[in-house]
Amino acid sequence: MSHTSMTAAPDKAESSFFARLLKRQEMALFLCLVLVIAFFSFTAENFLSVRNMTNVFGQASLALTAGIGCAIVFISGEVDISIGALLATIALPLILIMNGTESLVLGIGGALLFGLIIGIVNGYLTAYAGINSLIVTLGMMFILRGGVYLYTGQRAIPDDAALDSFIALSDGRLFGVIPYSAIIAFGLLLIFAYMMQHRPFGRQIYAVGGNPEVARLAGYDVRRVKFTCFIISSLLATVAGIILAARVGSAQHTAGLNFEFQVVAATVLGGVSLAGGIGSLTGMALGVLILQFLSNGLRGLGLPTEWQLVITGIIIIAAVAFDEAKRRRAIGG
Amino acid sequence: MSEIVHPSPARRLAGGRLLGSSQLVLAVILAALCIAISLAAPQFYSEANVIAILRQCALVLIVASGMTMLIITAEVDLSVGASLAFVGCIGMAVLNATHSLTLGILASLAFAGGVGLVNGLVVTRLKVNSLIGTIGMMMMLQGGVYLFTREAVQNHHQLSSFTGLGAGYVGPIPMPVIFAAAIFIIAYVTLRFTTLGRYLYAVGANEKAVRLSGLRSERLKLLAFVVTGLCVGIAGMILASLMNAGQPTAGRGFELTVIAAVILGGTSLLGGRGSLFGTLLGVLVLKVIDNGIIILGWNQDLQMVVPGVVIILASYLDIVRNKANVR
Repeated sequence: MSHTSMTAAPDKAESSFFARLLKRQEMALFLCLVLVIAFFSFTAENFLSVRNMTNVFGQASLALTAGIGCAIVFISGEVDISIGALLATIALPLILIMNGTESLVLGIGGALLFGLIIGIVNGYLTAYAGINSLIVTLGMMFILRGGVYLYTGQRAIPDDAALDSFIALSDGRLFGVIPYSAIIAFGLLLIFAYMMQHRPFGRQIYAVGGNPEVARLAGYDVRRVKFTCFIISSLLATVAGIILAARVGSAQHTAGLNFEFQVVAATVLGGVSLAGGIGSLTGMALGVLILQFLSNGLRGLGLPTEWQLVITGIIIIAAVAFDEAKRRRAIGG
Repeated sequence: MSEIVHPSPARRLAGGRLLGSSQLVLAVILAALCIAISLAAPQFYSEANVIAILRQCALVLIVASGMTMLIITAEVDLSVGASLAFVGCIGMAVLNATHSLTLGILASLAFAGGVGLVNGLVVTRLKVNSLIGTIGMMMMLQGGVYLFTREAVQNHHQLSSFTGLGAGYVGPIPMPVIFAAAIFIIAYVTLRFTTLGRYLYAVGANEKAVRLSGLRSERLKLLAFVVTGLCVGIAGMILASLMNAGQPTAGRGFELTVIAAVILGGTSLLGGRGSLFGTLLGVLVLKVIDNGIIILGWNQDLQMVVPGVVIILASYLDIVRNKANVR
């Protein structure tokens, strides 16, 4: 349902298999990714090494995990920009509980519970109280970020427990090669991509985002679908926050600053429309990977972080503009 | 989608209602805040404190005036915070090089107006969603300002007229407040009493209808982007003057404060609905809260938490009120 809006565009002239394949949004994104990788493998040193490749996937795991939630909320026709602040906030229950109990399970449980509560609040205020989701999650972003500043007094809270299992989340690798964080991210991606494409609930999300009125008439509970999407988003941001906390080894008040913007940018780059009902998790994942390989490659070329920001900004605008032009031509032709 | 300028502010004025729906809620919140704070801390109403509040409102109000117009046309600009910092650095660098206040102001206006123009062109010509387009611009500016200067651009020219921009007074009133008042009044009159203002509402409410009736909706949106940019240019110079330096790290989170004030003022993110008077109330509420937290001696980090609660609460009260009205 997602990308069919792209493929359903009238294609009379080009009927060859290859041309139709190219028309799929995901395929175009995949080609972009291949181009990016090809470009840097020739220009940047050590870019193609196994170590660097797996590193990129490990680094992408944060945006990938949170991006699943971001994309699902977008597809349901809403936005959630509280994820960056949530990322920083859930490190508090996580680290505090682990320091107190020396138990990873309890820490993660506490963090997930906290994320669940935030998701319920966001979802309730948006779906049931009817407040614009941008306002709700902007407000939530202020509340959470302010709350972290308030609680920590702008000092990092170190992970005194230093549990081996927790540290493994940051630098542990399966067979010494694949980072656990990447396995978690891609595992979640597979589960949710399956849900979005092949389960009734996924179809409901597309229907609700595409046309709430029609979805309502079809008997879907629009409010409950949106409510659930916010809970999914908060829980996935919590998982990303746990991975981040493991990586920095503390609860930082500045963690995840601007993270929501990076995730939103990658999601939109991946072809998920802010208007709702359009896009796929595969597209989002490709968007995340393109940006991640890009920033890694630029660093490999020895460019400072500032240039990465500038180039990323240009590419996001160019990609969305290109996509938009293609869509209009498809409609016009 | 059939109505074009349905909740027209002009009509409300004609109906004799000075306060629009959401503004009433906001005015009550503002009054309650002022009373509560002054009961706890009588110095709240001292002349020095009132002036301090107004001065803090000035920067936000200047940019929020442009942003209100922009959001009324159903677009948004997230790059204003990054642009604010960049403008200050550029303005200060030009001042250092030329020792001319006019050139410095022109340079910063040209830069910020140019950023607005590019944002506007990206949105209207390339049809990029403004939320994404301006996030892209924000990244470019955040990166760009560090490429331009790694540390603060210090004041090497010592022009007294420049210091006057931020720290000067006319009688008891600080200069930034006068700039803010002037820009607010111009924007208010434009939105409320001119055809251009009505067109801006119309573009936000129903762009297709506007285009079909022969107006160039893209031009109107572009104009709103450029105006927002120019407002950032003015605010950036004032901020540089207040800090006596161009800080590349200034303005972080500024865009969110501005948008929060506009939304709090009842301007709809969907476009076509809102008013500058509401924005003024929104700015005042946010800054009175900030000030209250300081004079009550509370933890200053509450300055983030409380506005978050207020934004959600105000939107909620507005919805509850609207429902009651419909009944």
